[in-house]
Amino acid sequence: MSWRPVKAVVGREMSKLFRQRARLVSAMVRPMIWLLVIGSGVGSMLQSQQQEGYLTFLVPGILAMTLLFAALLSALTLVYDKEFGVMRMMMIAPIAHYWIVLSKLIAATLTAMVQAILLLLLLVILGLIPVNIALILLAPALLTAMCCASIGGLIAVYSKSIDNFAVIMNFFIFPLFFLSGALYPVKQLPEFLRYVVLANPFSYGVDLLKHAVPNVNTDFSVTTDIIIVVSFTCVAILVACWQFSRESVHEPLFHRSNKR
Amino acid sequence: MPSNLAIRTQGLTKQYGQAFAVEQLDLEIEAGQFYGLLGPNGAGKSTTIHMLTTMTSATLGDAWIAGKKITDDPVAIRRTVGLVFQDSALDRTMSIDENLQFAAALYNLSPEQANARIDELLTVFGLQDQRNKKLVTLSGGQRRAIDIARGVLHKPKVLFLDEPTIGLDLPNRRSIWRFVEKLRRDEGMTIFLTTHYLEEAVACDHVDFIQNGRLEQGGTPADLIKQLAETILEIDTDKSENIVNQLASLFGDPIREDQHLSFKIIANDVDFSALQKTLGDQISSMQWRRPNLNDVYLWRFCAPDTMGSEK
Repeated sequence: MSWRPVKAVVGREMSKLFRQRARLVSAMVRPMIWLLVIGSGVGSMLQSQQQEGYLTFLVPGILAMTLLFAALLSALTLVYDKEFGVMRMMMIAPIAHYWIVLSKLIAATLTAMVQAILLLLLLVILGLIPVNIALILLAPALLTAMCCASIGGLIAVYSKSIDNFAVIMNFFIFPLFFLSGALYPVKQLPEFLRYVVLANPFSYGVDLLKHAVPNVNTDFSVTTDIIIVVSFTCVAILVACWQFSRESVHEPLFHRSNKR
Repeated sequence: MPSNLAIRTQGLTKQYGQAFAVEQLDLEIEAGQFYGLLGPNGAGKSTTIHMLTTMTSATLGDAWIAGKKITDDPVAIRRTVGLVFQDSALDRTMSIDENLQFAAALYNLSPEQANARIDELLTVFGLQDQRNKKLVTLSGGQRRAIDIARGVLHKPKVLFLDEPTIGLDLPNRRSIWRFVEKLRRDEGMTIFLTTHYLEEAVACDHVDFIQNGRLEQGGTPADLIKQLAETILEIDTDKSENIVNQLASLFGDPIREDQHLSFKIIANDVDFSALQKTLGDQISSMQWRRPNLNDVYLWRFCAPDTMGSEK
């Protein structure tokens, strides 16, 4: 197996990412709104010391949010490519079909990392985190990005069309984010919600990022975070590859013309 | 499998639930042949192509491409074949060059190989100056040309064309066929074609027909036309029952399309001018001509004794 087809799929996604500058800018706007508007708003209800602490607490959560949205939306290009027929160009190529999924997930991880690095730069420029913390955050960010990409891959291979996009946003992306401890400590949640957070693999990525920021309370140990994030990522990738390699998944692609 | 066969199938069957998309297909297509598979919509043409290109698996039966069984190593088979889909598989947001470079990389062509081949193919289509144009700015014919270029970038041994000229105007269709002919001549490619434009299938070395998933043996277009009839007689009339009553005993039942009747005439000694006078003002127009492949198709799938035979 040559790496050239993988590089081609990844390269196509990256060139689209850098070409769509508005997408990159808007990807920075969302976390900054959360951090500066929501963070300041919620922070204003707290005492001054807690207020500063909440902004620091939000940094890993907001970084995780950027990774989640970027990786998931990038992985969902699997669905876009199916919908617009481009996937057939990849399916007819002499590569095993699971390599298409793997390539897309590598691209999704890189896309998320590009956006995470831009956000970290912005946070450093705004003086919200020091440079050394930004650099330390890169390693857990990479693991979290892979986890988010694998979640995206899993959703994408089970999605039939982009009509499901709103469903994906409302039923996957928002719950994954809000029930992850990114905005509040897991320990302070009601018990039934705590169980939901525990079942959410993204929670452990968020927690891993929290470990990199001093003075931020974490909910699990680094070991637990790494084991769960890596295990989930591997299983999700395997399931996504298996599902995508099933003929029934891509058969509608080849009947599209007949339905016109 | 004889070494000169590019495609061979044995009892190839695709079943969806109780329905057969393709049933017991037996084919033998020689290397370098221009083969046409003709049939109405939903007859099983595309399903056959998708099975032969490993895009969908057969329920039963076997198939070989260039001597290799398709189920043994689907990836190797995909390296051997090229497939041009009915509608574009290109990314409209990317340029011609980006699309073709992407496709070339998927076939593991080095950048040098890719550039040389892209240059060569774009020159044939006269699109070399538009290499960096976005696909969305091209005409339908130009986009189709790029689709075909994508399908042959890796110089496949067998090229599958699934209704490649659908929706194109005549000049674009002619341009596409000149290119396909060049590919056959210069690269010795075996071409497997499905098309609705039957006049295009006249260039095939051999055509077969498929209906309800079952193959009906064909032949060379010239032989099929010759075997069909000596003459096709077409009559427009609002008294079709009268005309049929008068002529069916002589020429057999016609194909009826509203007020239009088509008779196939085997004999070569019919005096059509006299016949026209005899029918008089019962008919609004009458013409007789040599049959073509469209007639062969019509008499296969729309003839009186085949109507209503669809599953």
